Amino acid sequence: MKMQSRRVTLTLRFAVMLAIACAISSPARGQEKAKDAAAPAPKRDISGVWLYQGSGGAESTAPEKDMPPMTPWAQARFDPERPGYGSRAVPGGNDPILQCDPAGFPRIMFFPTPFEFVQTPAKIIQFFEREHEWRPIWIDGRSLPKDPDPTWYGYAIGHWEGDYTLVVESAGFNDKTWLGATGYPHSEDMRVTERYQRVDRNTILYNIRVDDPKAYTKPIIGPERTMKLRPGVEIGELPCVWSEENSFTKRIREPAVGKPNR
Amino acid sequence: MKPTLTRSAALIVTLLVACSSMLAHHGNVAYDEQHPTTIAGNVTEFVWSNPHCQIYLDVKNEKGDIVAWSVESQSPGILKRNGWTRDSIKPGDHITVTLVPAKSGAPVGFSGEKSGKVVFDDGHVLKMDLR
Repeated sequence: MKMQSRRVTLTLRFAVMLAIACAISSPARGQEKAKDAAAPAPKRDISGVWLYQGSGGAESTAPEKDMPPMTPWAQARFDPERPGYGSRAVPGGNDPILQCDPAGFPRIMFFPTPFEFVQTPAKIIQFFEREHEWRPIWIDGRSLPKDPDPTWYGYAIGHWEGDYTLVVESAGFNDKTWLGATGYPHSEDMRVTERYQRVDRNTILYNIRVDDPKAYTKPIIGPERTMKLRPGVEIGELPCVWSEENSFTKRIREPAVGKPNR
Repeated sequence: MKPTLTRSAALIVTLLVACSSMLAHHGNVAYDEQHPTTIAGNVTEFVWSNPHCQIYLDVKNEKGDIVAWSVESQSPGILKRNGWTRDSIKPGDHITVTLVPAKSGAPVGFSGEKSGKVVFDDGHVLKMDLR
C-alpha cells in the first residue's frame, strides 16, 4: 500500500514537472492563447467586418459526403454540370460565375473574402467584398413574403434568440445559382435558415440549414463554421466585370489548360 | 494502436489538403498543387485587376531560351490587405515567384496560396496569405 502511494506521488510530481516544462518551453503558445481570449460579445450587436475561416473557394454549403440524396428533378440538373471543384472537377467547366453570374445565396457565404454587418434598428445589412454585393436582413418583426418573386439573394428576415444569436430565415431565390463550387443545384422553393452565434467579441459560430424538398430528399445541414472579427479591415471591391473576367480567361485560364493564348 | 495511427495519419493528410486548398476561386484543378516550384525572371507586365492580379515575366529555361510565363495571384482586395499596391511590381523588376504550375505543362502558374510569394533581388518579400 505504501509502495503504491509512493508511485502515485511520483507520477503526480512527474506530471506537474512536465506541465511546468511545457509551459516554460512554449511561451509563444501561451501568448497566442492570451490574445485569443476575447472580450465578451456586445449584446444584440453583430456589426463589424467578419471573415469566414474557410479553406478557400472550393467550399460548398455542405461537403459532398454530407449532401442528401437528390430528387430526379435535381439530378437532371446536376448531371450536365461541370464544376471546377469536388469529385467531378474539370478544368474550365461551366460554373455560372465564370460568366459573371452572381454567386447568389448561400454560396457567397463560403468565399474567403470578408463581409461587413451594418446594423440599424429595422435591418441588418450584410455587405460582401465578393461581388461588391449586399443583402438586407429585416429585424423589424415582419414575416417572409408569402409568394416572393425569385431573386439572386432572396428575401431575409432575422430575430435575436437571446442576446447573442441572430437567426436569419430567407426565401424567394431563383434557381440559377449553385449551392457552391461543386455544382449542386437548388430550386426556387429553397428556404435557408442561418444561425450567427456570437460566442465572444471576436467569434461567430455559423450554422446553416437548407430546406428544398423539390431538389433534396432531406434538409442540407452545413458543418459548423467559424467567422472572425477583423478590426481595422475595410472591405474592398471585388465585382465580376465581364471585360476583366474575359481578359483573365484568355490570358490565364485557357493557356493554363493548354489552349493557346489568344 | 494501429487504428489510432491510421486515424492520425488520415487527419494529418486531411489538414495538409485543407491548407493547400486555399486557392483561386475559379477552380484549382488546372494546377499541380502537389509540386510547388519557383521561377525567376524579368517582369514584363503586372495587371492589378479582378478577379486575380496577374504577373507576366520572361524566364530563362535550362536551354537558355526565354519563356514567357503568366502567373495569377489573388484579387486586389486580398493583396491590398497583404501590403501590396498596384505599383508593388513593375516591368523590369527581377523577381523570384513561388507558385503551383499548370498540370498541362504550359508556362502558367498560380501564386496565391500559403506557400505563394514574390521575392525581389534586394530581399524584400511580398506574400498573399492574409485574407
